[in-house]
Amino acid sequence: MTVREALLRARRRPRHLGAGSPTIYRGDGYEFVELRAYVPGDDVRRIDWAATARSGELQTRVVLEDVALTLAAIVDASPSMRIGRRRPVLDAAREAAQAWFGAARGEDRCIGITGSGVTPPALQRGPHRAFAALGEATAFDPTRLLRTARGALPRGTALLAISDWFDLDDAMDRDLAELGARFDCTALVVRDPWYDELPLAGMVRIRGAEGGVVRAYVGPRERDMYRRAVRLREEALLSRFSRANWRTGILREEDGAESLAAAFGARA
Amino acid sequence: MSVEHPARLVIGILAIAAFALLYDRLQRRATARDLAYSNVAFFTFAARPRVWIPRLLQALWLIALAGVALAVARPHLTIPVPVRDGDVFICIDTSGSMASTDVVPTRSQAANAAARAFIAESPPGIRIGVIAFSGAAAVVAPRSADHQQVAAALAQVPLPNGATAIGDALKLAAQQLPPSGHRVIILITDGVNNTGTDPNEMAQWLGAHHIPVYTVGIGTPNGGLIPGTNEEATIDEDALRGYAQVSGGTYARVENATELRDALARLGRITSLQSKPVDAALGFAVAGALGMLVAFVLGFGTGRYP
Repeated sequence: MTVREALLRARRRPRHLGAGSPTIYRGDGYEFVELRAYVPGDDVRRIDWAATARSGELQTRVVLEDVALTLAAIVDASPSMRIGRRRPVLDAAREAAQAWFGAARGEDRCIGITGSGVTPPALQRGPHRAFAALGEATAFDPTRLLRTARGALPRGTALLAISDWFDLDDAMDRDLAELGARFDCTALVVRDPWYDELPLAGMVRIRGAEGGVVRAYVGPRERDMYRRAVRLREEALLSRFSRANWRTGILREEDGAESLAAAFGARA
Repeated sequence: MSVEHPARLVIGILAIAAFALLYDRLQRRATARDLAYSNVAFFTFAARPRVWIPRLLQALWLIALAGVALAVARPHLTIPVPVRDGDVFICIDTSGSMASTDVVPTRSQAANAAARAFIAESPPGIRIGVIAFSGAAAVVAPRSADHQQVAAALAQVPLPNGATAIGDALKLAAQQLPPSGHRVIILITDGVNNTGTDPNEMAQWLGAHHIPVYTVGIGTPNGGLIPGTNEEATIDEDALRGYAQVSGGTYARVENATELRDALARLGRITSLQSKPVDAALGFAVAGALGMLVAFVLGFGTGRYP
């Protein structure tokens, strides 16, 4: 399954049944997805009689409606995204955004939302012009950008937001829920480069990407506390987005496209 | 504390301030050893790193440098040093109330025993004299460095009888002491001054002449009747504390013979010390060097990458 197929499936899944629902929209398209056991309520015209004869049970052919998607993306390009173990996590974010827009097909439209504004909807394949030139560090204001998305994007848009979410205001939960109800939202949370182990011990100096310096002693106790806090923060962020009906995933520094696919349970 | 070369001290302080500023400036520069992190506020919250340790080391460096700067300025510290020759007078109350038995066997005998303890604790070279006083004061043992002879003279302290002339005892002690040097008066009494010279005036005079009076009040809280009378033996503690304060000494209240002996023995050690200015340059230099060594070793030991 590709990212696009995952988006189409989600688009046709009745929200009240949740992610585990077996009901797929019985569209007029021709893109075969799968065969599955008949569920009362399925259109009898979709019963695959040959497969039914082979298996001895009623089998329904699931096809996807061929619709045009609107794909939008917000990518945090603030200085905090310029940090990483082997490369800046922003590079991985850029890869994920490229994979996102690379999923567009046919009449799908792509919209980029950055600190400088919203690019006009355009047919797009591959790198989006709004993110192709993410060179300069810009401040990331998630509150403003998400509210811009809410006002500018058409209902049903598939929205991808990639950030370390350090600036996500606690008061944003309501906005997140509104966005989750209006759009098909996906949040990629950048994994802390030092998620597994802080590479320092002893007398250290930590220099913040967005300012601030701290000189301190970091011993085993601090390293343990740090590891625990980073995991808790990540879990809390994912939980916040999930509660707001967002699809969530972790953006790993190693591979942005893979991280995006993993969020959709899709192949990269 | 005083310094012999204040100009050196000023230059030293300025040099330390310049060093601190330079160090601070260097610390602000980014180096390859810094860990670039996305959000310092989160790091501080998450790891709760011990920021006081580098601050402590910085402070240690500054203190060590200040110690060296002080050493260069040749400081003189006024500290208690053992006295090789000094003069002490023990004034023992022999008024009637000292016959009271609330302190076993009697206050007078306990005072005598305590005076022996004081003499035993005093280092050789200290000249000790004994004055006994009731309605009048008299020298029992003139000042002498022969402590055995002074202790033997305590046997001549008269039996308790009569009034309490604290002021007269202090006056006589002052007359017997030499005009200069390390001089101390020990006053052991259980009563209230009721005759003779005003002891408060005498204490002030002694304080002005750098002769501290260490007062020891003897007697239980309930006191006791003065034998052969219906009078109760009481202590004017406020007055005794006042004599000690104005003269630069201390006051101690004792309720039994053991406490009295301990108090006198303690005084024997205290009064054999004298505050004198001493050259502390070497001490400051050594302390500064040690401080720098400790700061360096600690900084080196903790400033490593895994």
